[in-house]
Order: sequence, then C-alpha cells, then structure tokens
Amino acid sequence: MQVAELDIHNKSGLHARPAAMFVKTAAAFRSSVFVENLTRGSKPANAKSLLAVLGCGVEQGHRIRVSAEGEDEAAAIAAVRMLAEGGFGEAAAG
Amino acid sequence: MGTRIAGTPGAAGVAVGPVWRYVPGGVGESRMPDVAEHPGAVVRAAGEEAAGQLNALATRVRKLGREDEAGIFEAQAMMATDPELLDAAVARAEAGEEPVSAVRVAAEAAAATLAALPDELLAARAADVRDVGARIARILLGEDVALPDVPSIAIADDLPPSVAAEMPPGMLLGIALESGSVTAHAVILARGFGIPAVVAAKGLVGAARTAMSVAIDGATGEVVLDPDPGEVAQFRIRAATLAESRRAAVALRGGPCATADGERVALLANIGSPADTTRALEAGAEGVGLFRTEFLFMRRRTAPTEDEQVAAYRAALEAFGPDRPVVVRLADIGGEKALPYLNLPAEANPFLGVRAIRLAGAGSRELLLTQLRAVWRAAGLAGVTPHVMAPMVATLADVQLLLDLRDEARAGAAVTAAATGDPLPATMVTGVMVEVPSAAILAPELARMVDFFSIGTNDLTQYAMAADRGNPALAHLQDALHPAVLRLIGMVVAGAESAGITVAVCGELAGDPAGALVLVGLGVDELSADAGSLDGVRTALGAFTRAELADLAGRALAASDAESVRAMAGELLARQGSAASR
Repeated sequence: MQVAELDIHNKSGLHARPAAMFVKTAAAFRSSVFVENLTRGSKPANAKSLLAVLGCGVEQGHRIRVSAEGEDEAAAIAAVRMLAEGGFGEAAAG
Repeated sequence: MGTRIAGTPGAAGVAVGPVWRYVPGGVGESRMPDVAEHPGAVVRAAGEEAAGQLNALATRVRKLGREDEAGIFEAQAMMATDPELLDAAVARAEAGEEPVSAVRVAAEAAAATLAALPDELLAARAADVRDVGARIARILLGEDVALPDVPSIAIADDLPPSVAAEMPPGMLLGIALESGSVTAHAVILARGFGIPAVVAAKGLVGAARTAMSVAIDGATGEVVLDPDPGEVAQFRIRAATLAESRRAAVALRGGPCATADGERVALLANIGSPADTTRALEAGAEGVGLFRTEFLFMRRRTAPTEDEQVAAYRAALEAFGPDRPVVVRLADIGGEKALPYLNLPAEANPFLGVRAIRLAGAGSRELLLTQLRAVWRAAGLAGVTPHVMAPMVATLADVQLLLDLRDEARAGAAVTAAATGDPLPATMVTGVMVEVPSAAILAPELARMVDFFSIGTNDLTQYAMAADRGNPALAHLQDALHPAVLRLIGMVVAGAESAGITVAVCGELAGDPAGALVLVGLGVDELSADAGSLDGVRTALGAFTRAELADLAGRALAASDAESVRAMAGELLARQGSAASR
C-alpha cells in the first residue's frame, strides 16, 4: 500500500470541479484508492466516488491522507499528488 | 379579482402569462421491461442513461457560454453513476425493493450525508443529488417532464436546475416558487435570463392547482393567480414602464455622463478581479476608478509572484485600453486576515493597525515594491499609462514613501524590461485614497504631491464617526451622507482645487443616486461604483443642473444629520422620477 498526506491549497477545496478532477484521476487506476480528511477527522472514503469525496468536506487549508492499494498504487498516488500540488488548475487566491 | 399570494422578490421584472406547473416525478412503480428478472441491471441502466442525458445537457449549456451550469451538470452526471449512489440503489433493488423506491432511498441517503456537512456549498450539492435521483426515477417510470410549448410562467415548489435548463429558449417568462430562496439555482438562472422570479410564496402550489394564468412582479414579490382584466392591464403597464426606464438607462450608456447643463462627470466602475471587466464595459464605464487587488493576496500561503501579478493587471488594463484609465489600488491588507507570509503579530484593532501602505515600515516593503513593479511592467505590455493609488495614507511621510517606492519599483522594472525587451512607461499617474480623516485635513499639502485623490467614503465614515462598519448596532453612525463626513469631503475638494488635481469618490456613496447628486454638488469630478449602479447614477445626474446640485450640497453641509440629507436628495430624485414618467 502507498500513502501520501497532502495539503489542499486551492480555494474551493475538494468541491465542485476539483472534486470531479480528483475522482476522475483516482478512477483511472486499477488500485483501490481511499481518501480521508485529517483536519476534519473523517473516515477513509472511496476516492473513486464523487459523493464520497464531497462527503469528506475538504476545504482550503485542510490536510488529507490518500492511500492506494493494487498493481499501480505508486502511479495512482503520484497522479493525485501532482493534481493537489498543482492546485487542481485553480488559483489559490480568492 | 385574482388570488393574491405574497412572496419574496427573487429577480426583478414583471410577467403575465399562462401557468406551467412543474411537479417532481418519481412516484409509482417502474414500467421498464425485464424489471422482474434483472432489477439491478435495470437500475444500473437507468443511472447510465441519466448520466448520458446530463452530459448532453452540459455540452448544450457550455455552447451557450454558461460554464458554471455546465460544471453542475457534469458533476450530476458523475453522481448518476457514482458507486455510493448507484451501487446502493442496485443492491436495494436486487434485495427485492421496488426500483424507483430503491433509487430514491439511495439518493436521499447520499443527499443527507452532504446536507449534514458544515458547508453551504455542499448543502446545495445535496439538492443536486436529489435531482439526480428524481431523474433516474423518471427514467424508470418512463416519464418525461412535459415542457411548456407556449411561453409560460413556471409555478413549482422548487425548480431543479436540470428542468430549468431543459426549458426551450423563450418558453420561460418568469418563475414563481413556493419554497426556494433568493440564492436558489432557479433564481440565479432567472437573473441570467433577465426574467422575473418570486420565491417563498407560501401556499402557491396548492392555490395554483387549477389556475390558467398568472401575473408576477419580481421586484415586489406579488403573485396574482387568474388575474382579472384590470389586474392584467395593471401588470402590463408595470412591465412597459420598467422596460421603458431600462431602455432609457441603457441608451445613455454609450454617451458621456453629464449634468443636465452639460457638465461632465466621469463615471467609472469598481472591479475586484480581471473577470469583472466585461460587466464594467457593458455598463458603459469610462474606466476603472478602483481595481481592488486583494484577490491576489488572500487565501494563500505565499505572496503572489511579480509575474502572476503582471498577468492579472495586464488583463484588466488591456480590456480597457489606452483611453479608459484603470486605477490599481495597492493591496489593502493587514492583520484582520491572517496572511501567513506577512508575519504580522495579532492586533487588537486591525483596522487601526499595520495595514496597506503601513506594511512598508513593518517588514513588508518588498511586498509593495513587487506589486508596483508588476503594475509598471503590466502597463508597458498593455501599452497604457499606469494609474496607481495607495490606501490608508495618513501623513505627508506616507505620500513620500509611496513616491519613493514607485520610483524604486520603476528602476527594478526597467532591469527586467531591458532584459526582455518589453516596453516600460515613463510615468505613473499616482494618487492617494482619502479615507483617514487626517488625510482630509492635510488635503492642501497632500494635493501638491500627487496627481489625484480618491475618497473612500466607507472607511472615511468609519474613521470619522469612530463607528465599526460591521457593527449593526451602529447603523445610525455609518451613513456617509452625514454632514460631518460631507464637510471632510468638502475639505478634500478644496485642497484638490488649490493644486489643480482631480477628486474621485470610489466608495459606496458614489453608486447611490442620492449620494452621487450630493458629491457632484460638492465638486467631485469622478464617481466610481459597482457596474450595476452606473445606470442609476447616470440617469439621476442627467436630470439636474450643476447649480441645482450645488444648492443641494450647500443645504446638505448645513443639515443636522444624515437623515435630513437623504430627505433633501430624495425630494429631488422624486421630482426626477415624476418628470421621467410624464
């Protein structure tokens, strides 16, 4: 299993478009991918489900833990990390 | 007499027309074939069909330029096949639950999870999930929403975004909702379409069950079911008057803003990001009197880079071109919002603390220099003369600091420009905001150092009256039309005249027709306000001569309180209104 802890900087957190991008990215891998909101203390949720990701209530400034398990787990984590560090293509300013 | 129901104004406008009722579907039993043998597969297929419909809708509204709505439909398409929703519904159906009920229960469970989160945006997503559930249920039931085929007024408890967006263009004259709030999707849509909307009309759906026609006024919240001919005539007159005054105001947009005797008053827009430029230009703004730059600095861990700022300023400067100045205000930031890169200690009174130009003396000189360098370079790239003003200026030393920073920034920008071969302007039109009472008192001295003044009436009032802008208990001390504030503005105008520089007002008072009359009467040269206020100000100013406004200002300066000043200006505006409707 591969795990990464990431800070969410972009202004709408994991809502709206960033949430959809996050889910589409996770769903592109065979591994099972889970996300939990460390700031809010949520349970691990299926990162391939938009409803589950929205349900984590990740806002700007929150820290999340992403875990992947499967044949392409390292690639899955790398892809999600790149997305988060790039601010989901969204400006951090508001 | 028709049945009258009082609602809440949602979107302004008046409409009269036939009733189109929307009743959410999704009750009853699935009529899909094969449902008995493969209930799970039927539910899954319905979810996938719903996703296909929603993606098609997203494509359609994106072509119409409605990007935000397209995003909502794409998210709904993902929800329609979401494992949390569809797997749960399939499992319920396979366990023997009626498929329509299985979908509704699964959608409701997912919606309830989102609605329980402490976030308004996610609560709105809960409504989107329920809407997806209703769509899948409609597919299972073999139902289509019967859309209106003649232009109609929609009456519903609430109008889900998918239904509103599927409405053929021109078929929706107005919207009246029994529930719903002013921030409901349908209301935002109505404003976008320019049609009236009334919300929170209690008892509407029940009363409208047999109604054939309806009249609504989105400004007053009135709904009249089955209006009689007299009522229809009354609403049609209202609609015609409204259309006429809108046409008249819009017709003035192309021309200059002036008093009735032809004295020009420059009318500009306030913008908060480059995205606001389109609205400002459409409203006929002659430029930007206040470009707030805080959007670049908030909600981030590190300060914005020079290049990032160049791009943002350049976009706004290019949109307005060389003939419409854009005044960039240096960042008005300070201790009230913890910006990690500022390293400021917590302050008991941040609005009286280290903020704006004062940051230069508190370890953030480079922050202001970077911003000024970015403005120099952006203006060079856009081929315009840069205009900058500093907020929170209190003393002559503050102005000197601004001028020094400006010159130092040009030297820095010149190094970059020399390396890249980009052009760099020779001069920067430099002004200060007058919002600290000391600056108003020192106006004659400050005026000799700068190119213009811009009065921020909101802060000037807060500081002159020692009344926190955000404290509702102090509302009586927050009206910028108070004679004490007006006398300070009079001092600023006199100081500016002595040095031959212009005076602008960029606070809320400039966008208020009553305020605009008094300000121009006091001798203010330029008004800058939200784009939505410009039509009203332009129309009001055009109705009076300079002498009439000077007379109003003279009486206002001598008045005992803000209420009396409002009454004086209101009297003039009422005269203008009755003249306009003749």
